[in-house]
Amino acid sequence: MNRWIKGFAVLLLAVLVACGTDDSADQNNGSDKPTLKVVTEAGFMPFTYLDKGEVVGFDIDLLAAVMEEAGYNYELENVGWDAMLLSVEQGDADLAIAGVTVNEERKQSYDFSSPYFESTHKIIFRSGENITSGQDIKDLKVGVQSGTTGAEAVEKILGKNADNISKYDSNTLALTSLQSGDVDAVVTDNVVADEYVANNPEADVEMISDPDTFESEYYGIMFPKGSDIKEDIDAALQTLIENGTYAEIYKEWFGVEPDTAALEQ
Amino acid sequence: MDFRFDIIVEYFPFFMKGMGLTILMSVIGVLMGCILGFFIALGKMSSVWIVRLPFVWYINFLRGTPLLVQLFLFHYAVLPTVIGETTPVISVIVTLSLNSSAYVAEIFRAGLQSIDKGQAEAAHSLGMNKFQVMRHVLLPQAFKRSIPPLGNEFIVLLKDSSLGAMIAAQEILYWGRAASGQYLRVWEPYLMVALLYLILTLGLTYLLNYIERRFDVK
Repeated sequence: MNRWIKGFAVLLLAVLVACGTDDSADQNNGSDKPTLKVVTEAGFMPFTYLDKGEVVGFDIDLLAAVMEEAGYNYELENVGWDAMLLSVEQGDADLAIAGVTVNEERKQSYDFSSPYFESTHKIIFRSGENITSGQDIKDLKVGVQSGTTGAEAVEKILGKNADNISKYDSNTLALTSLQSGDVDAVVTDNVVADEYVANNPEADVEMISDPDTFESEYYGIMFPKGSDIKEDIDAALQTLIENGTYAEIYKEWFGVEPDTAALEQ
Repeated sequence: MDFRFDIIVEYFPFFMKGMGLTILMSVIGVLMGCILGFFIALGKMSSVWIVRLPFVWYINFLRGTPLLVQLFLFHYAVLPTVIGETTPVISVIVTLSLNSSAYVAEIFRAGLQSIDKGQAEAAHSLGMNKFQVMRHVLLPQAFKRSIPPLGNEFIVLLKDSSLGAMIAAQEILYWGRAASGQYLRVWEPYLMVALLYLILTLGLTYLLNYIERRFDVK
């Protein structure tokens, strides 16, 4: 019994010491600006996802560049979607980046940075389905990822929470259900759609984009309401877009030059 | 922290729709689970090992793998292969029925085996055959003893039906997630979801208490 208590005490001490050294390391980093707590949900390839346990992606590289430009230290933690929302809303985290699209409803609960990514939607459907524009999905069963702007875009066509919209937990499940025949089409971000088609050459699907039906969406960094670091981050973001660092990161992840006209403020 | 009642108000009709589906899926799941479970219990109690074996492994598989994984397997692989076409609701009902049948089988088996052997022997010596012993002596007593654990299983099954949200069966949690996704808010939708499940399970608890009293002959 005694041995157990001793062992536990040693363990506790080790944890305390480990925490202590962590803190002091942050403070020694030479900046008078505070260390920001950044949260994400690493489940949105290629923006933020796990590669052998490490959080990587376009968002993560951009985050590093923005933080350096703005002169902040930061700690990044992959906490999952709901926990991410809660900790930003309650101000436990200073910001979140996870390919979050900015819209009016979300602005009621959070502050957002100026847009850092422009995205459009694509319709993926089983070959043979006669779909040439966004309006053609009106009478079909359409799958989306719950809570995404793809879901919202489809609701504009089929009606809010319409019966023939199926909201899935992830894009992967929505696309699997497309293959299994649960739904006739899936609407999702162009990046996700391209990635899926490239990775599943045997899937008998086609995809189209329709700029007339689907307006561009913009991703933003999410802050708690009334955040005082938003200005710094926005300024750093603009600098990166103007000096070409943004284009560099973009090209690295998506292989093409970005059109930054819409992102410049 | 502010609490936005407007989100709950907006989604209330959807939550009610979802509650209907949750009840429907759970009730069918419970009934099918009980019927199947009874026969599986009998199968597992067979004295011939080759008869017993498939039932043993049926129970092993369904109790030994996560329900969510079973749901994915049945929805995306097994049911499309076996019956050609499935809907999320059918898949949830089938998965719940099969899963709960494994647990119910063990509950029935425990109930049957808890009846003293002497009773069956006595009934046999009165000239009853195996079927009559089961029907008139063992089952009524075993069923009474099975009611509390069965009630527990029903409550678990009711809550487990929420996994249907993962394959877009439009039950309570599905609408909670939809509301959460639209506003990127967690408290309002999930508190509502929690409240609705609480109402359902409490209702079920009182119903079960009533049934337990009804069957209590003492």
